Amino acid sequence: MEAPSLLAYDRDHINELLNALAQLDEQVGQPVPKRRLNGGIVGIEIAPERVVETGRFLRDVLGFEMLSCISGVDMIEHLESIYEFRSISRNWLVQMRVKTPSNDPRILSLVSVYSSANWLERETYDLYGIHFEGHPDLRRMLLEDDFEGHPLLKSFRTTPAVVHDRATTQVDAVRAVSGEQQRGQERVVLKRLGQGQQERIHPGMTTFGNEAVFLETGQGVGSDANAMHGYTIDEQYLDPAAKPQEE
Amino acid sequence: MATDTHADTASYFEDASGLRSEEMILNMGPQHPSTSGVLRLVLTLDGETVIQCTPVIGYLHRGMEKIFENRPYIHGARYIDNADYLNPMINETAYVGAIEAIMGIEPPRRAQYIRLLVSEMARIASHLVAIGTYGLDLGAFTPILWCFRDREGLMDLFESLSGHRFTHNYMRPGGVVHDFPRGWMQQCEEWLDRFEKVSIPELHELLTGNEIFDARTQGVGYIDPQQGVSFGVTGPNLRASGVVFDLRVAQPYGAYREIAVRPQVRQEGDCFARYMVRMQEMAESVRLCRIALEKMPGGSISQRVPLALRPPRGEAYYAVETGRGELGIYMISDGSEYPWRAKIRSPSFSNLQILPELLRGNKIGDVIAILGSIDIDLGDVDR
Repeated sequence: MEAPSLLAYDRDHINELLNALAQLDEQVGQPVPKRRLNGGIVGIEIAPERVVETGRFLRDVLGFEMLSCISGVDMIEHLESIYEFRSISRNWLVQMRVKTPSNDPRILSLVSVYSSANWLERETYDLYGIHFEGHPDLRRMLLEDDFEGHPLLKSFRTTPAVVHDRATTQVDAVRAVSGEQQRGQERVVLKRLGQGQQERIHPGMTTFGNEAVFLETGQGVGSDANAMHGYTIDEQYLDPAAKPQEE
Repeated sequence: MATDTHADTASYFEDASGLRSEEMILNMGPQHPSTSGVLRLVLTLDGETVIQCTPVIGYLHRGMEKIFENRPYIHGARYIDNADYLNPMINETAYVGAIEAIMGIEPPRRAQYIRLLVSEMARIASHLVAIGTYGLDLGAFTPILWCFRDREGLMDLFESLSGHRFTHNYMRPGGVVHDFPRGWMQQCEEWLDRFEKVSIPELHELLTGNEIFDARTQGVGYIDPQQGVSFGVTGPNLRASGVVFDLRVAQPYGAYREIAVRPQVRQEGDCFARYMVRMQEMAESVRLCRIALEKMPGGSISQRVPLALRPPRGEAYYAVETGRGELGIYMISDGSEYPWRAKIRSPSFSNLQILPELLRGNKIGDVIAILGSIDIDLGDVDR
C-alpha cells in the first residue's frame, strides 16, 4: 500500500518553506545557507549576533510560533547550538544552527522573543557552558549550583583522574586493633569542598554548607593541649576571628 | 533593624487596621506525594496567595545524554526507557526512529503496525497513571486503585510480549525484537473490550461527574493558547487549550501515515479540560488499537540490521507524540559505533516551564490541582 501524500513530507510544502525563507537573506543582509534534512526539515545557519532578529523574523513574518528545542553540540573546534522552530499553523519545522568558538562561546539570548527559550538556554548553558547574552537568569538548570565544569563537553572526564581513599571520620577497625589509630595523632583539616576535587565526603558525615571536616590519621602537629583531645586543627584553615585570643 | 530595611514593602502588607503581614517562603518538596518524583517548588506566599513560584529540578538527573555518547547505539534504546518511565514504548520508538532516519531505512510494515499498537497501549497506561494520581492529589482514593488495576492488564500484555513489565527493551533499529506470542492478540482485544465497556464509564462516574472534583478543577489553571505555544507546551496540555497540534496528525510517522488519528481538543484550557482530553484520548487510543489489530499485516517484523551498528555520518531530528507531548530525539552520527550526540527534547521539561505563570495569583490549595493537571514525569524532566 502506498503511503498517502503528507503535508510535512510533501516536496511542494518544503519548497514553499524554502521560498519563504528566501526573505531571510534580506533580513540578515547576507545569503543564509539552507539545506534539506531528513523528515521534511529545512536547516539554516545563522551567525551568533543575528539570532534575535532571525528569531523575531521567524515568529512575526513566517509564523513560527514555537521554539521547541535547543540542543548544544560540541564539535571540538567549535560549539554549536541547534534550535528547532515549529510552525503549528503552517506545519513547518526549521532547524537553526549557530556556531560559536569553543574558547569563548557566546550567543544572543532568545528569551525576549520566545518564552520557552528561558529554560532551554539555561540547560544548554549548564551542560555546554554557552553564555546566552541578555538572558535574565542564566543559572544552572539540572546540576547543582557549585558544580564545576560543563559535563556534555567532550573534554569533560566522566571519571576522576586519580581516586583517593575515601576520607572518613570512622575509626578503622584494623588500625584500631593494631594500635596505629592511637599512635598517630589524628588531624582535623577543614577544607573547602567543591566539585572536581577527588575527595569524597563520607555519607554519614555532617557537613555545613560547602565545608566539611576531615579527620586524617598521621603524625601529629600542634600543641599538647590539642593533642589531649586527640586532634589538632591546621591553623591555615581556621577562621582568624574564631581563633581564641592569646592573653 | 530588619523592619526598617523593608519599609516600602511593609507598607504594602499593612492593612487598614495597621496589622502587618510578611511574605512567607514555603519549600514544597523535593519529597512531596503529589510530584511523582523529586521536584522542589519554592513558593513565595502572601497569606494563602502564591506570588511567585520557582521550580528547582535536577534531583533525578542521570546524565542520560552523556551516557548515550559513551555506549553503542543499541544500549541507548534500552536506557531511554528510564527517561519517561511511564511510557517507555514510545521513548524507544523515538530513539530507534532517529537512528533509522540517519540510516535511511524503514522498518517492515508489520513492525510499524506493532509499534503503533504498543505506543497506543503505552499512551493508555500513561494516562491511567495521570488520571489516577490526579484523583489522589485531589483527595479521591478510589480512582488510582481502579486505574492501576486496568494498567496491570496492560503491563501483563507488555510482559508477555517483550519479557519486561516496565522497561521493555522491545524496539530495535529496523523493527521490533519479538513477534506476538500465541493468543496475545486475543488477550489484547479482550482487554480493550473490557476497558472500553467497563473501565472508562467507571472512571467517568468516579471523577467526571464528581461535584468536589468539578469544583477543584473547573476554571482553575487556565493556559492561554498563545502563551502555551510560546512556552513550548505540547500534548494534551496544549490541546486542552484549543490548539489542534498532535504530531501523529501534523507529521505522521510510521503506521500513523495509514491510520488516521482524530486529535482530541477542548477549548476551556483549565485543569478539567486537561483531564477530559486525557479521558477522550484513552477512548481514541482504544479505537486505534482495534484498527491496528484488525489491519495487522503479515510478514517480517524486522529488517536485517547489524547489532554493532555504525550509521553513516549524518543527523536527524525525530519527533513523536508521547502521552505528554512532543518527544524529539536530535541525533548526530560521526560514523562510529557511538552516537556523537543524542539530545532528548522531553515534553515534561517544556510543560513544567509554564507552571510559575499558572500558579501566580492562585491560592496555595490550588497548587496541587494545577501541578497534577500538567502531568509531568520527573524522570522525563531531569533525564
